[in-house]
Amino acid sequence: MRKALVWTLGLTLWLGLVGSRAMAQTSPAGGTGPLVWALTGGDEKAYQDAVAQYNQKHPAAKITLQLFPNEPYKQKLLVAMGAGNPPDLFFNWGGGILKSYVDAGNVADLTADFAKDPTWKSRLFPAVLAAGTFGGKIYGVPINGMQPVMFYINNKVFQEVGAQPPKTWSELMAVIPKFKAKGKALLAVAGADRWTYLMYIEYLVDRLGGSQVFTDIAAGKPDAWSHPAMLKANEMIQELVKQGAFVKGYTGTSYGTGQSTALLTSGRAGMQLMGSWDYPNILAGSPDFIAKGSLAWMPFPTIEGGTGSPGDVVGAASNLYSVTSKSTHKAELLDFLKTNILSDSNIDVLLKNGSVPPVIGLEAKIAKAPQAAWLSFVYSIAKNAPSFQLSWDQALPPAAADALLTNLEQVFLVKITPKQFSDNMNKAMKR
Amino acid sequence: MTDAAGAGAGRDSDGPGLAMPVDAAPPGARAGRKRGERGGPNLAMALPALAMFGGFALAPMVLVFVLGFTQWSGLGKPVWTGLSNWHEAVHDPVTQGAGWLTLKLMITSWLVQTPICLLLGVFIAGRQRYRSVLAVIYFVPLLLSTVAIGITFRALLDPNFGVSAAPSLAFLAHDWLGDEDLAFYSIVAVVSWQFIPFHTLLYQAGVRQIPRIIYEAAIVDGAGRLAMFWYITLPQLRYTIVTSSMLILVGSLTYFDLVYVMTGGGPGFATRLLPLDMFLSAFSRREMGRASAIASLLVGGGLLLSLVLVRFSGFARMRSQQEGL
Amino acid sequence: MRNWLRVVFRFNILGAAAGVFWLVVVVLPLYWIVITSLRSREGFFEAQPLDLPSPVTFDNYRHVLEGGYFNYLTNSVVVTAVTVGLTLLISVPAAHAIVHSPSRILRLSFQLFLLGLAIPLQATIIPVYLIISELGVYDTLWALVLPGIAFAIPLTIVILVNFLRDIPRELYEAMRIDGASHWRMLLHLTLPLSRPAIVTVMVYDALNVWNGFLFPLILTQSPSSRVLPLGVWSFQGEFNIDVPTVLAYVVMSTIPIVALYTVGRRYLVSGLTAGFGK
Repeated sequence: MRKALVWTLGLTLWLGLVGSRAMAQTSPAGGTGPLVWALTGGDEKAYQDAVAQYNQKHPAAKITLQLFPNEPYKQKLLVAMGAGNPPDLFFNWGGGILKSYVDAGNVADLTADFAKDPTWKSRLFPAVLAAGTFGGKIYGVPINGMQPVMFYINNKVFQEVGAQPPKTWSELMAVIPKFKAKGKALLAVAGADRWTYLMYIEYLVDRLGGSQVFTDIAAGKPDAWSHPAMLKANEMIQELVKQGAFVKGYTGTSYGTGQSTALLTSGRAGMQLMGSWDYPNILAGSPDFIAKGSLAWMPFPTIEGGTGSPGDVVGAASNLYSVTSKSTHKAELLDFLKTNILSDSNIDVLLKNGSVPPVIGLEAKIAKAPQAAWLSFVYSIAKNAPSFQLSWDQALPPAAADALLTNLEQVFLVKITPKQFSDNMNKAMKR
Repeated sequence: MTDAAGAGAGRDSDGPGLAMPVDAAPPGARAGRKRGERGGPNLAMALPALAMFGGFALAPMVLVFVLGFTQWSGLGKPVWTGLSNWHEAVHDPVTQGAGWLTLKLMITSWLVQTPICLLLGVFIAGRQRYRSVLAVIYFVPLLLSTVAIGITFRALLDPNFGVSAAPSLAFLAHDWLGDEDLAFYSIVAVVSWQFIPFHTLLYQAGVRQIPRIIYEAAIVDGAGRLAMFWYITLPQLRYTIVTSSMLILVGSLTYFDLVYVMTGGGPGFATRLLPLDMFLSAFSRREMGRASAIASLLVGGGLLLSLVLVRFSGFARMRSQQEGL
Repeated sequence: MRNWLRVVFRFNILGAAAGVFWLVVVVLPLYWIVITSLRSREGFFEAQPLDLPSPVTFDNYRHVLEGGYFNYLTNSVVVTAVTVGLTLLISVPAAHAIVHSPSRILRLSFQLFLLGLAIPLQATIIPVYLIISELGVYDTLWALVLPGIAFAIPLTIVILVNFLRDIPRELYEAMRIDGASHWRMLLHLTLPLSRPAIVTVMVYDALNVWNGFLFPLILTQSPSSRVLPLGVWSFQGEFNIDVPTVLAYVVMSTIPIVALYTVGRRYLVSGLTAGFGK
């Protein structure tokens, strides 16, 4: 027994020594160059491409890029910022969360740098910088494609059911029973992911009352949530639920693992309201679906009697890179942002990925890219949109965003009335 | 004489009268005698463990407790707010609901897991060869990571694509994770699936410790199998039952990972347990102070529970169950 | 002897039925994981979940192995081995002390460890992050080991205590009469006799460290200090998860720990038959 004990102790100590050498080898900041944090998936290739291009020209002080998935990233960034240990450049969605970092003094103001170089700003779509602009000051630089939301359509299912994709709301309501009669559902929605519900209310409110409704809400006007358009929108949502428009089990279907999209591609549902980021997923997961021409797309239907512009679009304008205020690498990063982000070659990488960058004058490039039909559609609705509304849960401050998701889910579960929704949200904004 | 086929601890007849201790003194007297003696192991044996635990687990928890008296969004400086977080946490209907839900989880988990683990533990403690192969397979659920289990059951329980879609299993077609009532029980089922191997192992180890002679004596007295289970196995497993129950109950109190991955607390509030409420308060609503208050209440509750269990079952008296043999 | 066998056999019919039922319940999801990992991503949803994949593909496994798997594996092995080793090193003496000492301080320590069972990890990540930062070990593997030990200690000690106190006092009495110090008793009596318990906690602690996700997430950032649970990130994006590849990764991450359990179990079994006799 003593031998075994000696062996165990010895092994542990040895492992400890070897291990400590292994463990100590990593220098925390990963080198002397700037540190950049971004997300995995999607446009990852574009982020890496931009960094690779920069590092080729600056071998002495290379940029280190570290990638994380969505949810863990948000927590990690918060902890790092709060502890005063953030990266030099970080990926974000603009809106309320970026504003919280700006208010805490953690983000560098880039307005002056933009002013020094007018072309930097003018080649971009104006709407795209808005997400990172607070109080007239610019805090974020767009880095990837615009992500408007639209209806993805399964043509074959509509043919089977004997209907046309609806262009107006009354057409949409009329089509629902036709789908039910054939044992299918009109709308696939991923309730388990809550944010997927947002796209409905964002469009409904915009079509009914115009973009001003949410602008007032975001500005913090008291009782802005009680606008009639908001109440009507929630009523319409609950009407959809009652009519059986949504797919069976929609409250537990998730999007992240591809379940709701699979409902569309497998023919169990006719349409899914989703952002342009889903196209690459379909391309990877069900390429035949696209190749055979079963996939179609269209903007959100118009609503008779609504005052909003039919061309308005909701979604994510583009993701941003922001510079941390304490960073010692500001000069290098500005160089990087101007030269390598959304450069011509970077744009090509994005287009190949199925992303449409918010840069003016890309029509020719798009026409030559693979998936040109899709890309042109996305580009044109984004370019021509009178208003491009940032997703509400990104636009609002974190606590209100959370309240929104919670209450909206209750609406979709038909557990609260539209009036209760508005009251709850008005209260939540006051906190 | 070691019995290779014995199901319990074999006791040698070598050694100075150890096989059948003839100790006639009552247990209390024995303990008393010990107190007078050389004083037992010194603190130094436990010091490293106390130091590590204190430094990296207790100290953070104390900080968390202090944070409960502040309001903090994670950025900037915390602001002292006294008892308001605690007051709000206790009065908030969502947190209250989370509390009740957690209690429900604790009780349901215990009711589901303990009988199954007991039976399985006794079963696996048998010595047939195929049982050891089975034991490895039974254990794999515990070895899987949360990501694995989350993705697997999310997919299997999907109302349109999972087992609900398999034609031969029509009775399994339900909205497992989307129906508010079912979602909770689905979580209980998956958590049980994950942890039954562990508690089965505890019970198996416990059963193997029961000396065979007790069973042999009972057979001589003509006891049937049920009687032996009820009057021998269960009592001898008493402390194992306490350990396992404590781990199940306190574990359910702090259970977070899998629920977060599978339902995120939904649909609605159907699976929003207390640890989830705490986590979402911290990272979704950026209310670190409030989350810390909830965390402290959790720890307090867990500690209270453990202490009650321990006191109630005589666990802390550190006496062997096999005394008096 | 024959009576005993007959009784055991009769009792276990019920147990056997339960065992078979449980086997199905366990194996079904595992089966799903393995066959799905062999599916291609295309048409993943169209196929019936429980059918065998028609073109079986090992591409997913190839992706996994090419994606830094061995680096993560090494890190995981080092972190797990060191954490579990050190945890056992300090917990076994502590458990021995708690069981055999009349000291009130040690009683209190036991209750302190009970408290440790109830601490939710997610609550402590910010303070732990600050401590690790202060110590200057952020983004190294020590950042994972130190808190890992601390949080493994409560469970380890509780299980060990439960087992240790069943070791007959008489054995210790005998050694004390011979003039042994408690350290000798620990080494020569407690340690050999508590092998089953030690193996049990060793496997369970290893398991928790191996699959631990939260501390690695917050306390490391570079790919060079990444452990297995984080490596799966390469296959997860903001809006999509490549399920078959992720499952292939899961299989590759689980095999080492299954191996550990299989080996450890053999010691468990042999340790249990030795019992408390000498």
